[in-house]
Amino acid sequence: MNVLIPSQLRDYTGGRAQVEARGATLAALLADLERRYPGIRFRMIDEQDAIRRHIRIFVNQQQAPDLSAALAANDEVVIVGALSGG
Amino acid sequence: MNDDQLLRYSRHILLPEIGVEGQEKLLGSSALVIGAGGLGSPAALYLAAAGVGTITLADGDTVDLTNLQRQILHTTESIGRPKAASGREALEKINPEVKVVPLQQRLKDEGFDALVASSSVVLDCSDNFATRHAVNRACVRHRKPLVSGAAVRFDGQVSVFDLRDDLSPCYHCLFPENADLEEVRCAVMGVFAPLTGIIGTVQAAEALKLLAGAGETLKGRLLILDALAMQWRTVKLVKDPACTVCSRVMA
Repeated sequence: MNVLIPSQLRDYTGGRAQVEARGATLAALLADLERRYPGIRFRMIDEQDAIRRHIRIFVNQQQAPDLSAALAANDEVVIVGALSGG
Repeated sequence: MNDDQLLRYSRHILLPEIGVEGQEKLLGSSALVIGAGGLGSPAALYLAAAGVGTITLADGDTVDLTNLQRQILHTTESIGRPKAASGREALEKINPEVKVVPLQQRLKDEGFDALVASSSVVLDCSDNFATRHAVNRACVRHRKPLVSGAAVRFDGQVSVFDLRDDLSPCYHCLFPENADLEEVRCAVMGVFAPLTGIIGTVQAAEALKLLAGAGETLKGRLLILDALAMQWRTVKLVKDPACTVCSRVMA
């Protein structure tokens, strides 16, 4: 499925803002992203498997509260990072 | 409105969604613009041009050569001058009828209270998380609509936290305060000049709609722009029932 990567994490994806990844849950999707782009998961998920406070993950526009969210092949996942610049 | 005002604002008055009544509301409103930089420049210019009665422009910085690539309130002659004063001149040139209050200080928590309480709408055009959270807290306390924008590199975000409504999420519901969080700053990361114009202008549009009571705002939605691909995305925001800022106030 299509995953949107925020600018803070694009160093891991070779600058790409949209990448493909697979997984039946958000946890599986993030594991797949980590396989493809090593190091990216830790920037989003802490040691307790919680989504970091400055990162929000949306599946088909709805915010995913945790990693158990179920995913389908055509879902769109948007990862948003807090921006402070103005 | 006098004849000059009817002419000056005629293109707004022609819009049935605004009309004379909406324009009168704009003239009688006050907006607090926090930050006179990349976002605050276009936002404040449009608010002034559109006739928002009082605009308070708060910024503690002075104009630097590196600002001029995008901060269109200021000119080369303004380098070294306070941004609030330089911005005031630009706003008064575009519309001398507007009362502009320049505030040359970087505000902290209590500093926002009186300003937010006396404003009809607040625009967060700031460049750091501490200010964003302080502004949000003040808007929650005083139940004021907050139009929040941010821009770094080619990425922009904009939303409305309409804190007059108990069901509206606040900024802290979206991004809880986080002491460990490093700032993603334009000074380090760079920023695409017109991105700040696009996001700041969306902020002005949302503020004017809120003031005139026109249309549907971004309440409950976060608009995300990837200006490199020029693609917009919308995600839906929900109130966090455990939010330490807005749930406590409402309880």
